[in-house]
Amino acid sequence: MDFALTEDQTGLKAAARTYLEDTYGLDRIAALADDGEQDLAAWPELVRQGWLDTDLGLAEFVLLAEEGGRALHPVPWFATAGLALPVYRAAGVVPPGPATLADGGDTCRAVRRDDGWRLDGAVQTVLHADVATELLVAARTPAGVALFGVDPAAASLSARDGVDPLRATSDVALAGAEGRLLIGPPGAASLLSALRDRATTLLAGEAIGVADRALAIAVEHAKARTQFDRPIGSFQAVSQQLADGYAEVELARSLAYRAAAGEARSAEAVACAAHAASRAAITVCETAIQVCGGMGVTWEFPLHRWFRRALWLEAELASSRPLAAIAHSLFGEHS
Amino acid sequence: MRLDDSEEQAAFRAGLETWLAEQLPDATPSAPRAWSADELRAWSKALHAAGYAGLTWPAEHGGRGLSPAYQAIYAEESALAEAPDHAGVIGLGMVGPAIVHYGTDAQKATHLPRILSGETIFCQGFSEPDAGSDLASARTRARRVDGGYVVDGEKVWSSYAHLADHCLLLARTDPDAAKHRGLTCFLLDMRAPGVEVRPLRQLSGDTDFNQILLSGVEIPEDRVLGEPGQGWRVALTTLAHERGTFGITLTARLAVQLDRLVKTAKVCGGDTDPRVRAEIAELHVELQGLRFTGYRALAAMERTGEPGPESSILKLRWSRANQRVSALALRLLGAGAAADGTDAFWGGYWQHQRLRSRANSIEGGTSEILRGIVAERVLGLPKSR
Ligand SMILES: Cc1cc2nc3c(=O)[nH]c(=O)nc-3n(C[C@H](O)[C@H](O)[C@H](O)COP(=O)(O)OP(=O)(O)OC[C@H]3O[C@@H](n4cnc5c(N)ncnc54)[C@H](O)[C@@H]3O)c2cc1C
Repeated sequence: MDFALTEDQTGLKAAARTYLEDTYGLDRIAALADDGEQDLAAWPELVRQGWLDTDLGLAEFVLLAEEGGRALHPVPWFATAGLALPVYRAAGVVPPGPATLADGGDTCRAVRRDDGWRLDGAVQTVLHADVATELLVAARTPAGVALFGVDPAAASLSARDGVDPLRATSDVALAGAEGRLLIGPPGAASLLSALRDRATTLLAGEAIGVADRALAIAVEHAKARTQFDRPIGSFQAVSQQLADGYAEVELARSLAYRAAAGEARSAEAVACAAHAASRAAITVCETAIQVCGGMGVTWEFPLHRWFRRALWLEAELASSRPLAAIAHSLFGEHS
Repeated sequence: MRLDDSEEQAAFRAGLETWLAEQLPDATPSAPRAWSADELRAWSKALHAAGYAGLTWPAEHGGRGLSPAYQAIYAEESALAEAPDHAGVIGLGMVGPAIVHYGTDAQKATHLPRILSGETIFCQGFSEPDAGSDLASARTRARRVDGGYVVDGEKVWSSYAHLADHCLLLARTDPDAAKHRGLTCFLLDMRAPGVEVRPLRQLSGDTDFNQILLSGVEIPEDRVLGEPGQGWRVALTTLAHERGTFGITLTARLAVQLDRLVKTAKVCGGDTDPRVRAEIAELHVELQGLRFTGYRALAAMERTGEPGPESSILKLRWSRANQRVSALALRLLGAGAAADGTDAFWGGYWQHQRLRSRANSIEGGTSEILRGIVAERVLGLPKSR
């Protein structure tokens, strides 16, 4: 057993951090978030730097997701790398650009016509559908679920309001939209289920990054801000909260790395990572805001951007019902 | 990043598993059995003979010179098999490593083999009535005399002092030096005249920690461990072992406790209550978090020789989780939780655990002190004192 990052992994993480820190200062993030925009101009550079490379394994993706969460990386990388890429890889196709997945296995239907596949139906809250160059749609065919590539121009999109402006979603409606078949049944169904575990693991990594950054902001503040002629970080009521935050981050980090490192991905490992990381993101953001006092609750102070991401992640990660999955593995089937 | 054992580690684990299975009856389905002091000594002897004591100690001192991962494997397998501790846990886990590090050749030759075989039991005489968290303010006085020292003072809460042959004693040798500088560590013979041990009773009813009264105790010069005046550093070495790598052992046992909690829930019908299921699932997450954080600390240790900063949270979060496990177990028992002894579920096992675990966040450094260490040494926050 050697449960530590390899040299290559450490290097990858450090390079990602440097790039993100150089590219996305607090002002830049604030401006993009206030406009609800993604930095699409940076996409080619990201691809050039290897963020979608075929030699990256899940562990590497989790490290990139972690750094992405730290920086609130404002590009559709998670939608592409976390949701769409496995489909493209399985189909042996190179992603045409930023892409996303619309999981319409229950709500979309695909039928074969002479000129190819036609899709009908609707999928709600599809992440980054507005900026995707291609929508990957899971739809029912007579033989089972299949995965199709659809041109967003052939779909009708309506934007939804969300708690995190950097994670814009749209409702997607398809009326006879043309789809290119990427993965047919029965492979598509098992691919989708593996894909959900993988996406959950990546989001757990992202949540660690969110918690880590919120903690760093609060620690900086606690060193710099003085009250009663002392830095507030010298008051135990403050420093002990931050120490608890550190513990929360590290335990969750171990679980996210574990979920990514295991040869055989276990539902239990993914669920542990999901629960711990989501809780770490929420509690550490809240602790950080508390430590930053009145300043911490202003719009100008950066923390709420991470808090919003934490809330988004909490909702996303809760949808896999991690505690129920763990209880199931401990007790067997019930409720 | 690898989670599975290497080939050698897998072979070691398999051998250990077989050996434990031969030595121990099948793990009980419920509460573990208690071991007498004699049984413990015999167990330690057997462990030693089979080469499972002092896995990480240097071979020249009777250990096996293996990396800390092997100690972790041992901790996991012996917890799963419900094997008892080596009789000399304090000697093996804390005092021994300090002797390896600071001891003279003669001290090593005298103590190390006997610690390994369980012939010598050590206790740790650090805390005093007025020096607990603020250990460096210890007042037990060791006066320099011809050929050695004379010690007067009082130690308290010393675990297993009533069974111990020797004590790693922290005493003040220079009252004029700065607080941390005037301390010295001694390898005190507990049978020396002037040493009196009085049992203290814990709130759990256990009597395994003690008061040690020292009046005019003579300690020969060659019993000083490390340099005179360096006692604080020696103490920190043992505390680092207590809080750091020992975390893996604690976590391994917590896994067994959680298993028992699951069994208890099944017997009491709590396993169908969604809130109970969720709470136990959360404890499972906590346990796995501790486990894999322990592995990260181990990996850091194997690379750099020091546990990584994340090891500093192991004892902190373990104590909370261990307390929560027994608290939930008693809640599962409902009104039956008020019973004890033979009238209670598993003979009062959970009642005892509930009471005993209250000390977890105090012994070996309180949670507040551990958070202070994280705040200052890991997060770099300014000192609070
Ligand atoms: C079961 C058990 C076994 C033990 N075994 C041994 C042993 O074998 N050998 C040995 O030497 N000792 C042993 N101890 C002693 C143990 O190390 C001390 O009890 C512990 O370090 C706390 O010291 P104290 O009891 O004096 O509490 P105090 O230091 O008086 O603390 C009381 C409370 O004040 C808080 N506090 C104190 N200082 C600070 C601070 N600076 N900041 C914030 N909060 C603070 C503490 O966290 C605690 O909540 C054992 C204790 C127990 C319970």
